[in-house]
Amino acid sequence: MGGVGEILITLGVVLGLFVVWQLWWTSVEATAQAQQVMQEFEATLPPANPEPAELRTDAPPVPDPVGYGETIGTLIVPAWYGLTNNAMPIAEGTGMDVLDRAMAGRYETSQQVGDIGNFALAGHRRTHGNSFRHVDKLEKGDQIIVETATTWYVYEVTDHEIVTPDQVDVVAPVPHHPDEKPTERLLTLTTCHSLTLGEFGNDHRWITYATFVGWMDRADGTPEQVR
Amino acid sequence: MYAWIFRHLPGNTFWRVLQSLVLVAAVVAALFLWVFPAIAPYLTLLEGDPAVG
Repeated sequence: MGGVGEILITLGVVLGLFVVWQLWWTSVEATAQAQQVMQEFEATLPPANPEPAELRTDAPPVPDPVGYGETIGTLIVPAWYGLTNNAMPIAEGTGMDVLDRAMAGRYETSQQVGDIGNFALAGHRRTHGNSFRHVDKLEKGDQIIVETATTWYVYEVTDHEIVTPDQVDVVAPVPHHPDEKPTERLLTLTTCHSLTLGEFGNDHRWITYATFVGWMDRADGTPEQVR
Repeated sequence: MYAWIFRHLPGNTFWRVLQSLVLVAAVVAALFLWVFPAIAPYLTLLEGDPAVG
């Protein structure tokens, strides 16, 4: 085998290893980091009352803003149990240093969880923990639950759309209407999507909208769908 | 190149194969831990748009 042939084969093997690294190893690392964040966050909290309780529909408490990269709470998508790393931490900000640790990141321009407006989150579709990989399996009425130090917030999926990456007003207080004053409490998930490659591409964005249906104090109980 | 390395490893064939495997593992570990993380931001095959994940 000539030297040139060896070099070409080596390059081919290294490219193959890169794909293995990106699709598999980044998730191994990110999932471990996310689990550590979850454990540190949960260690600061008293355990929630495990009994199911009625959802309250009065105005929920709104948490104070936190600094970039700090943990806001936990994102639980019951439809993803058994499919992905449920639950994942929610952290402040959408930089790659946040998202690459298999966390959901809050858009710093969006509203706080429970507030009137849009609590908008970004997450990876594939690689680095595959946070929002199964976003396409969410159907109308599926719950999206956010747990903070004091409160459970329950949202229900209303709709989704596929947009180009420049349509950043999907995370506006009123999606697509950045100048309107919000009246509803929304949650929006944004992640990568491709018209041709599905979950493997990033030429488009998959946007899932959910609307607030109720909340409960962690001391009072736990939403039925949380396991 | 690979044949040259293999010939210059000490010991019988068994030990040479074992040492080859250790060398391969070391190279793969170096790629996974340092090289790939360093070059990933420049290879936007799957991700890379900092706007959203």
